[in-house]
Amino acid sequence: MASKSLFTCILRPSPITLLCANNNNLALLPSSYACVQQVRHRRFPKFVVRPTTRKVWHVRKWTQKHDDKLITSNEQFIQDIVVQNYANKSESPLKDAPWNRNPYIKGTRRTGVLALKLGTMVQWTKDGKGINVTLLQVLDNHVINYVPPELYKFYPSHLPHHSDRFGLQVVGALSCDPRQFSKPYNNLFVKAGVPPKRWLTRFLVTPDAAVQPGTPLCVNHFRVGDYVDVQGRTRDWGFQGVIKRWHMKGMPASHGVTKSHRKMGSTGGGGDKDGIWKGKHMPGMMGNRFSTLFGVKIWRINTKYNILYVRGRSIAGAPHTFVRVSDTVLPTKRIKAENAENVPMPTWFPEDETEPIPEELFDEEMFQFTSPSVELEAES
Amino acid sequence: MGFKGLFESGQGFTMTDVEGKLVPERGRMDVEGAFTHVSSSQVNVAYKSTHVINYKRTRAEIGQALRKKPNYLHYDLVDKHRSSPLQKGTDNITVETDVKAPRDYRFIMPEFMPRPHFEYRDRVLEKLERRDMLRRRTVINIPEFYVGSIMAVTVSDPFAPNKKNRFLGICIDRGGHGLKAYFVLRNVVDGLGVEIFYQMYSPTLHSIEVIRLEKRLDDRLYYLRNCPLEHSTFSFDMEPIALPRGAQVPVNTLKLKLNPKPWDERWERQDLKGIEPIELTPKMIKGIQKVHNASATPWKKHDLMLHYRSKVNEEEEETIMAEVYKENQLLESMRKTSKATLKKKK
Repeated sequence: MASKSLFTCILRPSPITLLCANNNNLALLPSSYACVQQVRHRRFPKFVVRPTTRKVWHVRKWTQKHDDKLITSNEQFIQDIVVQNYANKSESPLKDAPWNRNPYIKGTRRTGVLALKLGTMVQWTKDGKGINVTLLQVLDNHVINYVPPELYKFYPSHLPHHSDRFGLQVVGALSCDPRQFSKPYNNLFVKAGVPPKRWLTRFLVTPDAAVQPGTPLCVNHFRVGDYVDVQGRTRDWGFQGVIKRWHMKGMPASHGVTKSHRKMGSTGGGGDKDGIWKGKHMPGMMGNRFSTLFGVKIWRINTKYNILYVRGRSIAGAPHTFVRVSDTVLPTKRIKAENAENVPMPTWFPEDETEPIPEELFDEEMFQFTSPSVELEAES
Repeated sequence: MGFKGLFESGQGFTMTDVEGKLVPERGRMDVEGAFTHVSSSQVNVAYKSTHVINYKRTRAEIGQALRKKPNYLHYDLVDKHRSSPLQKGTDNITVETDVKAPRDYRFIMPEFMPRPHFEYRDRVLEKLERRDMLRRRTVINIPEFYVGSIMAVTVSDPFAPNKKNRFLGICIDRGGHGLKAYFVLRNVVDGLGVEIFYQMYSPTLHSIEVIRLEKRLDDRLYYLRNCPLEHSTFSFDMEPIALPRGAQVPVNTLKLKLNPKPWDERWERQDLKGIEPIELTPKMIKGIQKVHNASATPWKKHDLMLHYRSKVNEEEEETIMAEVYKENQLLESMRKTSKATLKKKK
């Protein structure tokens, strides 16, 4: 047992010997014959190494204002001009004619919205069963840009599995005063003709569901009873130890333990399985990463305040973080093409509705507080 | 106008309004009113050059990017965005202050007050929650009650023979904010103590009636578990006793004697007024002192910020209670008219 068998040595060659084999004796050792060391790790890392360099397409967002010496009336004048240029525009922000609208077919993927997480609440079903819901407010959303698949293919951010099926839809939320942003950041919004936004994100959409830049998005993009995927940023915990980050047990408080009450144990085995494997749980930066909740039901919608009541309390992030809400990708819960008559494609437009929409929309199974108490039927 | 707040970048650099000017907090005002920076490092001259697509970050900037920081917005900033003139399509809540609620109204309906933790406050959510609660109050009558009152509750129960269950008992606890409000009733059934937890706004509740309206000396009466059963035994056929109009709610100053040990909790360590003084053993005294020393915070009474954050501020409390008071007055007038019509029919 003590000595290694020759068989394992052949099966697990070091990368250096592999390289040599490839360089010198390619013909002798075909590539299919070479065994690569199997590395056990998770499918994607659960932790994120925070980047110290920016992406190529990144532009500086925030700047310092240099008009500190403005008096009050001048300040007011500038604010009036900002409002006049953006909010009280007489002409439509759309420069082209409206784009064609397509029906929802199999494989269509619509754009999502950016919502603000407000908090949680209790609601009840008609059986009297309590459910927890999270409130998401779709506040001041606009479509900023659309990049067709032909162009997106050559983008540095394009991934191979996107292929040429998807285009990019850039969506922004929360209009701000343009003076606090840099010029290149402000230039991103010229095409859409909307004020610069506090938050930007992108969704992958199929070309038949592309939305024209400058179009406002609201809560009617979704219907009650649909399922959505909600993606939010978790709380930032900073650099944390192994007990908080990975729920390891640590070591006892007494019985001869010194200086290692909150440390991890061993980092790995010996012999064949020696070394520290990739993905070993260790101390490091915790939180501030995106985590997704798939297939969440919409129980109730408020159209006046643009609020989605969504199942569960486990949506990532503290209250007042931004979350990305889009149609679910789960095969059993996604919108089917045969049930997609009322789906707003590519998004909801106010001119679609002939009658005024009710302020509140409820799911069929949802208890409404104006209705009488739940009565169970006695067995006969 | 809530427009000025939009200058706050949310990146730890806050602005304050000094004589109508927006001035960074770290700066100082000269005698002449001109603005001067404390240190020259705040003026980032390099950033003045425009059209920098990709830039190299300094070591300090990288350090700041790696540091822990809140990734959510302050609720005041969110409110400013909601009321901004640049925003369209979403309504914001309006405040009406034409009526004023009585001062003790907060103690009659404590569940209408939001949770005071400032991170979890949101004015739109609170408004919608209050509206749901008031809607539920139109369907069933939720009367005024306190811890120590004797109450009877009827609920729909899938395991009861008639699918309905009526329980009568003394209220030993009350709490929760918004729709999550609850109360706990206790009684003795067949010689066994029974406690039931009720959600106040659950649709399974059919009626809540107050049999005897009174207060006790403590806010939580869980020590009844370790008292003789006669103190928590109430007949299910008790008839309601109505207080005369305008009378104050009586306080029951009964002092109970605890059973000998073992107890569910260490009652001697809690500052309870509704029980007779306990004969303290030396071990008990030692434990009390230990707990007292461990949780000794003599500086807390001087911490004004802690005091301010521990409850919702008074102005907001008044607006919330005025809104609830107005709605409830409407409800009561509706109830009176319906009663009058019923009498006429008879």
